[in-house]
Amino acid sequence: MMSQMLKNIASVRLTVALLSLSMVLIFFGTLDQVEYGIWHTQKLYFESFLVIWKYPQTWPSYTYLGWIHIPMLGGYAVGGLLLANLLAAFFLRFKFSVAKLGINAIHLGLILLLMSELLTDFLSVESQMTIIEGERSNYSQTVRENELVIIDRSGTSQDIVHSISASKLKPGVQVSIPKNDLEIKVIAFYKNSILGRGTEQQVQRLATRGAGAKMNILATPTQIDYAEDAINTTTAYIEVHYKKEVLGTWLVSNVIDERFPAQKFQAGEKNLEIAMRYKRHYYPFEIELLDFSHEKYPGTDIPFNYSSKVIAHHQETGTDQQALIYMNHPLRYNGLTFYQASFMPDETATILQVVRNPGWLLPYISVLMMGAGMSFQFSLHFTKFLKKKAAQ
Amino acid sequence: MKRAVTIITALVVLITVGRHLRPTDTSDGFNINEFSELPVQVGGRIKPLDTVARNTLLILASRQQVVTPSGEILSPIEWLLDLTMRPEKADTYRVFKIEFPDDLGLPGLAQKGQRYYSFNDLLPHFEELNKLAQKIDPEHKKRTPYEQQIYSLNQGLTLYHRVMHSLHPIRSKEGLDQLIDEYTSYKSLVLPAMQELRKQQAGEKHDTALLRDFIAYGDDYLKLSQTAYLRIVPPPPPASTMDDWENIGLDLLDVIKGEPISAYTTGYASLTMAYRANDVTMFNQTINALRERFIADFPTEIKRVHFERMFNKLQPFAASMELYVLAFLAICISWLRWSTTLNKVAFWLLLFALIIHTVGLISRMYIQGRPPVTNLYSSAVFVGWGAVLLGAFLERFYRNGIGVAMAALVGFCTLIIAHHLAMDGDTLEMMRAVLDSNFWLATHVVIITFGYSAMFFAGMLAIAFIIGGLFVRSFSQKSAQSLSGMVYGITCFATLFSLVGTILGGIWGDQSWGRFWGWDPKENGALMIVIMGAILLHARWGGVVRERGIMAIAVCGNIVTAWSWFGTNLLGVGLHSYGFTDKGFKWLAIFFLSQLVFILLANLPWSYWRSDFGNIQQSRKRSNRV
Repeated sequence: MMSQMLKNIASVRLTVALLSLSMVLIFFGTLDQVEYGIWHTQKLYFESFLVIWKYPQTWPSYTYLGWIHIPMLGGYAVGGLLLANLLAAFFLRFKFSVAKLGINAIHLGLILLLMSELLTDFLSVESQMTIIEGERSNYSQTVRENELVIIDRSGTSQDIVHSISASKLKPGVQVSIPKNDLEIKVIAFYKNSILGRGTEQQVQRLATRGAGAKMNILATPTQIDYAEDAINTTTAYIEVHYKKEVLGTWLVSNVIDERFPAQKFQAGEKNLEIAMRYKRHYYPFEIELLDFSHEKYPGTDIPFNYSSKVIAHHQETGTDQQALIYMNHPLRYNGLTFYQASFMPDETATILQVVRNPGWLLPYISVLMMGAGMSFQFSLHFTKFLKKKAAQ
Repeated sequence: MKRAVTIITALVVLITVGRHLRPTDTSDGFNINEFSELPVQVGGRIKPLDTVARNTLLILASRQQVVTPSGEILSPIEWLLDLTMRPEKADTYRVFKIEFPDDLGLPGLAQKGQRYYSFNDLLPHFEELNKLAQKIDPEHKKRTPYEQQIYSLNQGLTLYHRVMHSLHPIRSKEGLDQLIDEYTSYKSLVLPAMQELRKQQAGEKHDTALLRDFIAYGDDYLKLSQTAYLRIVPPPPPASTMDDWENIGLDLLDVIKGEPISAYTTGYASLTMAYRANDVTMFNQTINALRERFIADFPTEIKRVHFERMFNKLQPFAASMELYVLAFLAICISWLRWSTTLNKVAFWLLLFALIIHTVGLISRMYIQGRPPVTNLYSSAVFVGWGAVLLGAFLERFYRNGIGVAMAALVGFCTLIIAHHLAMDGDTLEMMRAVLDSNFWLATHVVIITFGYSAMFFAGMLAIAFIIGGLFVRSFSQKSAQSLSGMVYGITCFATLFSLVGTILGGIWGDQSWGRFWGWDPKENGALMIVIMGAILLHARWGGVVRERGIMAIAVCGNIVTAWSWFGTNLLGVGLHSYGFTDKGFKWLAIFFLSQLVFILLANLPWSYWRSDFGNIQQSRKRSNRV
């Protein structure tokens, strides 16, 4: 009974079926990128168990065909089943022989690859660091995620930042910050919104203090924009309590950024700031941009090369490391990798992509196994074929 | 008979290839060959005027010749000569291709059955055209075909204007006959005008007439510096190929800074005057002088420029395309008559075509200084090349002509596709920064493109199997076996190359933006090809399907490969979405449908299979039932 089940799980028929399903998934997961952008589609299709494809509104005859919905297994489901299929096959049929060496290497490599993708999904963090020429930065940020921060700037050399990820902010949620005897309560939260000035008649009801109250700013929730480089205006109304006493409600939004005066309040002795901003990652080192250069092909605007000459200053070890970051030549430093991603329009600041991916080496190993295995197996087949032909 | 077949084939080949080697006639005595080889900088690289003429014509007219109102056929370079030096004549040539002139919304323009229009035909409609063009959505994807047509026509007119004003200022017809005088008077004006200008600024008495003349020149040349399309004046030696050249307007403006007018600028002026005056000796002398000057300044570049002109003239891809047709015809006839002789002949024809194809590929690599695949056009050229290479190999082992036939077919089709992809202008364009890596272009891109070749070739073999099995009586069990072996072997290759190529792409991705895998459409497409290969191989190893099932899967491979190659570009998302337009959508859809038909055919009941192979399968099925 048990062995029969194992045989079924290990069957080649199942492999073919799962491979076909994965093909369907990838196809629709590519199509939907037009609607939702790459990033969101990736979450919907490849980092999920089940997904339903809907006939897109932008396609012809939507009124007649809009009912077409195709459910399919998501990436985790197909990947997981493939893994089970593969492991079962290994368990049942594994035999060490030179003739099977290539096949085994390919499939072991595949197992490793599936695992490493899963690892990357969970562990890798991508963000951007913008540095102005001649200046330094010790943090990077992701425009896709936001955080609510309470900042204490009373320290002489460093600020103390309390950060709450925006993904935790839902109406009614309460978070306490015992160190400052503070408690915050979420009154409203909009992932994307439009901010505008209210008229005299529209009295701002939610915000009682800060910019929202003073300037009579109204936040209207709107649909989330999934486009490739879209930035959503994340906004929240936050009620702040100090030792059980309500201090007021602030409107915080990622568009009310450094360009505007900080929203400050007094909590006992302490003077604090409250803000919603792109999620930041702080590092124990600073990257200084010495020079950014952008070369073009002669007589055209076609970019030929961008590069950033930087020095990494480590605060704890005190060591400096100089590097030139340019296309296809990232800097690997302190467990992070810095890539040349973009630059500010006036070419005085660089934008580096900062990636933390502890499993970055795994795909290299796995693909090396697969590539080598396949080359070995096929050359084995090919030489056999040549011998057979020569014999004829 | 054998000898006759060989001789006839040799003659046909000679005629085909000879057409490409025919010397350009230098009628009227003007040394047009040398003119076409004059170097200019445009689009970031130095190229001969010949290339500019061809690419401009391709963009405007989608073809490489011009028919004058008197019925004379002009080569691209002769057209360029007229465009820049006798614009009054060129304006009457019909070089603007308008696919649907009735739908343009320009009443009075369309002439029955006419798709080509001259500048003069369009002139009365400029105001209206301009109005229409301003309403067009700036975002390319949101335009209707009608708007796209207006947009292209408008772009075409701008290009025409800019190329026309490339070699000298065009003030009037008479002005073109006195260019040297114009330059001399401008130059003699500069110093006094500067003095007058100082006087004016100091509030002193000054010569207003002289200043007005000078400012008129300045205004003109400033406009010219923004209009002139070609950069014809190289920097003074020693210069690197990465230095900016100047266009005519910039060079003339430099005179105000106290620099002399460049010898290139005056050279082109003399050339124009000589051409207009029909002065052959003067024209040819000036060309020689310009050429000598360039050789002295850029000794290494001139070789490349000369080579590029020869490459343009010989059109190796067109020649190999014609030879592929011949090879295919020969093999088809061989299945009816003279089989051994024609089989051999077809194989040699294929090899000959492959050699010319290879020469073309290597020439492009030399001109561009890049690995063979750098854009969609070159990928099409390479896919065909790869498939033909595989076909030639297969034929060596199987000698049944199927390898030759299918290779010739794929080679021909991909070169036709390439031909149509070349309509956007220079196919040797510069690589954008991220792609600027010869190492990755040479590994990832080449390998993955070879994967496409193999996948298509396997798919074509499968189609041959389906057609043979269904309709050809003599298609036996043995032919079925050998074809199925071929499909299997080629799919192994395809899977290997697609996998390795995809992996290298992942490594490139990790190196350049920190993501081994980003689910970008093109990446997904490549992965789908790998999975397709894996499905076929597993289905065969596991005995999930039999011969014709394998064939249906291989035809699916065609769809997946075409999707990965072109379909993903249509989506317009992601890092790899470089140039492929809606025109392609129609053809892609037709291709998908045709492949679906083959898949359906493969699944017809055995009783419809007319071949020996089909009969055997049919009777086997019956006996199984009994």
